[in-house]
Amino acid sequence: MRSTRGSSSSGSDSNQRETSTHGGLGMKTAAILAFAGALAALFVLGVGTGWAGHRPNNEVLVGGAISQTGQYAEPAGRQVYSIKLWVDEVNARGGLLGHTIVLRLLDDKSDIQTSIKLYEKLITEDKVDLLLAPYSSGITEAVANVNERYKMPFLAYGASSTPIWEKGRRYIFNIVAVAEDYQKGAVHLARQIGVTKAAIIGQDSLFPRQAGKGAKDWCKKLGIDVVLEENYPTKQTDFTALLQKIKAADAEAVFSNSYFADSAAQLRQMRELNLNFKLYSSTIGPSLPNFPEQLGATAEYVLGFSQWEPLPKVLGHPGMQEYIERYEKRFGEKPNYHAGGAYGALQVTEAALKKVGSFDNEKLRDALATMEVQTIYGRYKVDARGMNSHEGLTFQVLRGQRRVVWPEKWAETRAELPTPEWSKR
Amino acid sequence: MERSDVRSLYLLAAFLVCAYAMPFLVGAWAGTVRLDERWLGNLATVVVGGVMQGGVYAMFALGLTLIFGVMRIINAAHGEMVMMGAYLTWVAFFYLGVDPLLSIVLTLPIAFVFGVVVQKLLLDAAVGAPELTGLLITFGLGLAMIYTAELIFTTDFRTIPYAPGTVQLTSAIAVGQNRVISFVLAVAISTAVYLFLKLSRLGKAVRATALNAEVAMVCGIDVRRIYLITTGLAAALAVAGGALVSIQFGFNPETGVLYTLQAFAIIVLGGRGHYVGALIGGLMLAVLENLVSLMVPNGTAMVELAAYGLMISVLLIRPGGLMGVKEG
Repeated sequence: MRSTRGSSSSGSDSNQRETSTHGGLGMKTAAILAFAGALAALFVLGVGTGWAGHRPNNEVLVGGAISQTGQYAEPAGRQVYSIKLWVDEVNARGGLLGHTIVLRLLDDKSDIQTSIKLYEKLITEDKVDLLLAPYSSGITEAVANVNERYKMPFLAYGASSTPIWEKGRRYIFNIVAVAEDYQKGAVHLARQIGVTKAAIIGQDSLFPRQAGKGAKDWCKKLGIDVVLEENYPTKQTDFTALLQKIKAADAEAVFSNSYFADSAAQLRQMRELNLNFKLYSSTIGPSLPNFPEQLGATAEYVLGFSQWEPLPKVLGHPGMQEYIERYEKRFGEKPNYHAGGAYGALQVTEAALKKVGSFDNEKLRDALATMEVQTIYGRYKVDARGMNSHEGLTFQVLRGQRRVVWPEKWAETRAELPTPEWSKR
Repeated sequence: MERSDVRSLYLLAAFLVCAYAMPFLVGAWAGTVRLDERWLGNLATVVVGGVMQGGVYAMFALGLTLIFGVMRIINAAHGEMVMMGAYLTWVAFFYLGVDPLLSIVLTLPIAFVFGVVVQKLLLDAAVGAPELTGLLITFGLGLAMIYTAELIFTTDFRTIPYAPGTVQLTSAIAVGQNRVISFVLAVAISTAVYLFLKLSRLGKAVRATALNAEVAMVCGIDVRRIYLITTGLAAALAVAGGALVSIQFGFNPETGVLYTLQAFAIIVLGGRGHYVGALIGGLMLAVLENLVSLMVPNGTAMVELAAYGLMISVLLIRPGGLMGVKEG
């Protein structure tokens, strides 16, 4: 047992080196050598292990490309943590169906084209036995065409845009709440404090656009007038003009479909320009662990969305407490929802593989489509499109802490709204 | 000035008038322009914000234009030097507890030495070589800097909560404290560098080298030393820019690319190798971005289109840029 574990860790080390020198000459030589080695081993052993894609040393190759650099590196990085944690735990338990996992995690640099290429490579050259999902809706949407072509299923933990699942694809499933519901709680809270006019802004990419569409629909349903709707380029840093425009349109609440840098910039500039809104809500930024710390008092009263929070007593999903402890011990911070979602998805995948009993992708696909699994992230059971009906929660940053304020069944405290004016904070 | 030169200047002026009138026309057509007091206050705030922003952009564009002017090297790692400045300031603030503005005093010498080392190890090889050589070397340097920063700081976004308050210029015009501070410092540093170049003996030697390195050498100027000083100075300008950026915006190792592009657009606009041109270009670019964003419906999505459209148009109409630097 010990020797297998040793070989697996050295295996993942060499993978990391591969990631860093990816595309270089060294890698090619290494690949040729590895290939020659594998051939030699096959000839010497002269045996197959009985399932497709078999490898020496009773290993199973699990691979994926996820953003470790670039604009998505921050949220995706937390998913990488969970993936590593899961791999080591499974290997310590004796592996996946008795096979030691060798992890091949490549970096797509937050770039769609790179990701497509890497998945082609993982499937056709590396011949991975099990695929892991990428991060972000835009990249997942693009990669979904690749794995669909090769009939290799994966469970997406970094994509929440409905259109991905509305194109009749059979090999992609999701675990997280849909983008359209990210602002649901914030819009409800806005309604409760009597907001009648709102602005919806967001980064110009797939996920924020979907979240914006959902926010607009919720506003319509609850009778809030959307007075301004605008997207901005992904690299926008100066929001002075946009914020002035929002104020000029008399919006009382701002639903911002944003990541870290943009939501942080918007908040800081609102404060600089002394622009007061009754409510400000952002989709991703506030849910990242260092948001309150980096922004200080400027982050107070901001609403954010979370798919999940590390609150075992509030959410009560099985195994949560233990997962949180192990994660915190290893990475020195509590897992956020990106981490939780990835771990939940891997739990489902593991359960599905156990049910199937082999690495048969077609059977795995059927299991993912029909199974019901309880995970640390919540219940998994997909509809005909392959989408899970996960319910998220809305929190507010209060005195540097994220406190759940919506839905009421999970609320830790009452939302403190409307937001006080900057001069009174 | 030659006749064709004058003609292209008029043409450019006419084009710029149209370019800046465009957002107003579109806004009037879409009904976002309202000539009441409140809206004019908004407009003034946005223009003031653009000017503040432009001043900081201009400062690091000055560094880029300096290297280009003296050595004909396009420094593609300039934005990464800005990013390095932001991280130095961040480390000084969160770990050493040094005030971000005070930390400039500490980081500038570090930046200067860094620039000198870069010049010695890398850029000396690129001087006089085809322009592509310098571009590729600095591009590689930029990538190396990005990945080094990622190794040390991870890709998490950082920001420094410094001077977050507001300055109410009039009842209608508000601007962030940190922006005012950044703008004042940027103007002060840029002016100091400009005066250094104009008045000091060393500065004159730098300009002489920019005009003609061979003649400068014949006149007894140690050209290699001038190169060292130029790159050191450019790196210092970039790092100072980084300090000012770090108290305004979030940054991570990859944000440098954005600043390289911005500095690029600015020096193309102002005139490559021209110091005052960089300042004017910086202001023009930032103000136009803000005007488009304020008035055009969904205009914020078109900011980059406007900025780089402006850059390309200027290149077509008057390749030397606003201040008309002649090629060759």
